Amino acid sequence: MQANVIQPVRRRRLSSKVLEERRLPVLLLLPAAALMAFVVVFPMLYSLYLSFTNFTLVSQSSIRFVGLHNYQTLFRDPVFLAALWRTVLYITITVNLELVLGLLIANAMSHVMRGQGILRTILMMPMMFAPILVGFQFKWIFNDQVGLLNNLLFEVFRRPVIIPWLIHKPLGFITIVVAEIWMSTPFMVIIFLAGILSISPDIMDASEVDGATEWQKFFHVTLPSLSPFMYIALAVRSLDVAKAYDLVSIMTGGGPAHRTELIWTYVHRLAFTSQNFALGASMSYITVLIAVAFTLYLFQQLIKARKVRGL
Amino acid sequence: MRKSLVIVAAFLLLAVSAFATGGQEAAKAPKVLKCAFIGGANYEELYKEIPKWEAKTGMKVEIVYKGDGFQIDKKLKTDFAAGLVDYDVCWDHSSFFTQYIKAGGIVPLDEYFSAEDLKDFIPKILDSGKRDGKLWIMPRHFDISCLHYRTDLFQQYGLKVPGTWDEFKATALKVQPQLPAGVYATEFAGKEEALTGRFYEVSSCEGAQYFDKKWKPGFNAPGGVKAATMFRDLYKAGAMPPGMTGFVWEDVAKNWVAGNIVMYTEWYGWYSYFQDPSASKAAGLFDIARQPKGDAGVYGGWAGQHSFSITKASKQKKTAADFIKFITSAESQSVEANLGFLVTRSAVWDKIIADAKASGKALDAKRLELAQYQAANDFRTPPLVAEWLPSSDIVYPIVQAIILGDKAPQAGLDEAAAKVEAMMKERGYYK
Repeated sequence: MQANVIQPVRRRRLSSKVLEERRLPVLLLLPAAALMAFVVVFPMLYSLYLSFTNFTLVSQSSIRFVGLHNYQTLFRDPVFLAALWRTVLYITITVNLELVLGLLIANAMSHVMRGQGILRTILMMPMMFAPILVGFQFKWIFNDQVGLLNNLLFEVFRRPVIIPWLIHKPLGFITIVVAEIWMSTPFMVIIFLAGILSISPDIMDASEVDGATEWQKFFHVTLPSLSPFMYIALAVRSLDVAKAYDLVSIMTGGGPAHRTELIWTYVHRLAFTSQNFALGASMSYITVLIAVAFTLYLFQQLIKARKVRGL
Repeated sequence: MRKSLVIVAAFLLLAVSAFATGGQEAAKAPKVLKCAFIGGANYEELYKEIPKWEAKTGMKVEIVYKGDGFQIDKKLKTDFAAGLVDYDVCWDHSSFFTQYIKAGGIVPLDEYFSAEDLKDFIPKILDSGKRDGKLWIMPRHFDISCLHYRTDLFQQYGLKVPGTWDEFKATALKVQPQLPAGVYATEFAGKEEALTGRFYEVSSCEGAQYFDKKWKPGFNAPGGVKAATMFRDLYKAGAMPPGMTGFVWEDVAKNWVAGNIVMYTEWYGWYSYFQDPSASKAAGLFDIARQPKGDAGVYGGWAGQHSFSITKASKQKKTAADFIKFITSAESQSVEANLGFLVTRSAVWDKIIADAKASGKALDAKRLELAQYQAANDFRTPPLVAEWLPSSDIVYPIVQAIILGDKAPQAGLDEAAAKVEAMMKERGYYK
């Protein structure tokens, strides 16, 4: 009976200790969480609220709730729909080409026995440049008057070749794809190289004993082993390319005549030059929702791939 | 207990002494006037004059922000919207100030500047800073477009200086087939406000109104279609560089100094660069003329003025006004006039024209006399409405599409006008 009386007291003491232990990390994290809420959550919620108003940069005093009007306007705007479609195309082409190039280069580099460190450093150089600088560099390369490419063509054909790379309808889009691929393929290479180096040499040796050719080893051993790395690289790069702004803004500014307009160049144009902050916020939220859905899908695939590998 | 009291007393003593010291320092420190200005090499020469005002007044001037025209416009708009203005004087411009009025960011200057203060300023330029009968910006310097043409090439190909836009187009189309590859009859800046402004200028000459009195767009009238058609035809004929829809001011100027352009419309402000033989193949080989006129008998004269305003948030508006009087004084403007800027005080003009005539360089004097004439007769800013830039953002991609052949001139301009009208309606200009 006595034991029955004492036991609950001991349990209470234990649970308050546990509670205290659990409370401490929460308390320690509180300032950081509050700061995050202030600099991330509050602006996000506020911009979500703005997307349902008529807020412009120059008439903030007459702000009024307009419901879904901005979202309706956007889905009726052919420029927005074209920019959305172009952005999806831009992500698809650049990320997939980067993936293929990254795989090929990483596989080739994994066979380099001497000087791999130097090669890796050289390969990473494009990643070290700010997108703005890369934008200026490619703007010069593709300039129709003084650009490197047209001058090279002049040297080859010995007559003036004036191709308006940044202006022409498919060429303008292709130039921004090329610049993005040049800048970001090294990221894929580094990820895949790390993946290839993590494959057990025993598996490779076993496949060699079984008489597999280099291509067979690549397709049946390397590639399946790399699938978790591929999903992570795809997710990171897709989200990164979906935010493309600096490089495109410098090279073409989304033009001419919206020919290279992507979502974020259009958001900037609407929100700042056209002063229509609310419409810009609505567009941002549509983009964020698409990005979140895409990321969830990729992570589902990643989990499946890890299960297949028994990770 | 006693120990605690001693500690509290010592703490209080320290706090009081720190406060007192701080107060003394504050009393000693000069009052600060904060400014947000346009930056860039030539623009900043004027700021070197500021210590003279500081010495005279005992104030300290702190330039809290410097950026190019579009950067500072973005800063001002976002600061005004967010209520984060911590400066007294800001850069302003005739193409932009109506936005800042609407945002409630700047104040009228009439109560700070007397008629005596204003009498020396060129009237048309002063008027371009007025809205609803009030003066909002004080002119620093201005620029206006004029025709630049290569005298050697005009002589070589037997060309006459065009007096109308029709002649301008005919001259360009006539000479282009005779020019070597890589040389073009003409060019225009082909994107953003640079393109809309030029379209606005030519279409006004041809009789179209960008906005009517009720702020309804009228640029799709026959005059606007004629202007857009001229751009398209010149591009289609190869009389303009194929990359022109990507050009802004620097690009067109670079093509000119590279010797690749026969004639084009340009601002006066580039003159010293164009006449520098180490940088320009056109140096000593060009002349200037009044902008061509259109069917409406109106001469081209797209113009703008850089200027200063006082922010609504300023707590020392009289001091801010005193500073603006100094920075736009004849003495300060002489500094900018010597750099080649077109300043806004008549007294300075008389002196620089006399100096240019004495220098014996004919074009130096002609340039100033022509600019002065245009300032008095042709000076025309874009519509003084806060929606000028948002409307430009709608219009210029469509004018680009017309130039590139993606849209027909009338259909394209009708589409642009409908979009601009919808935007103006949404912003409450009409129902």
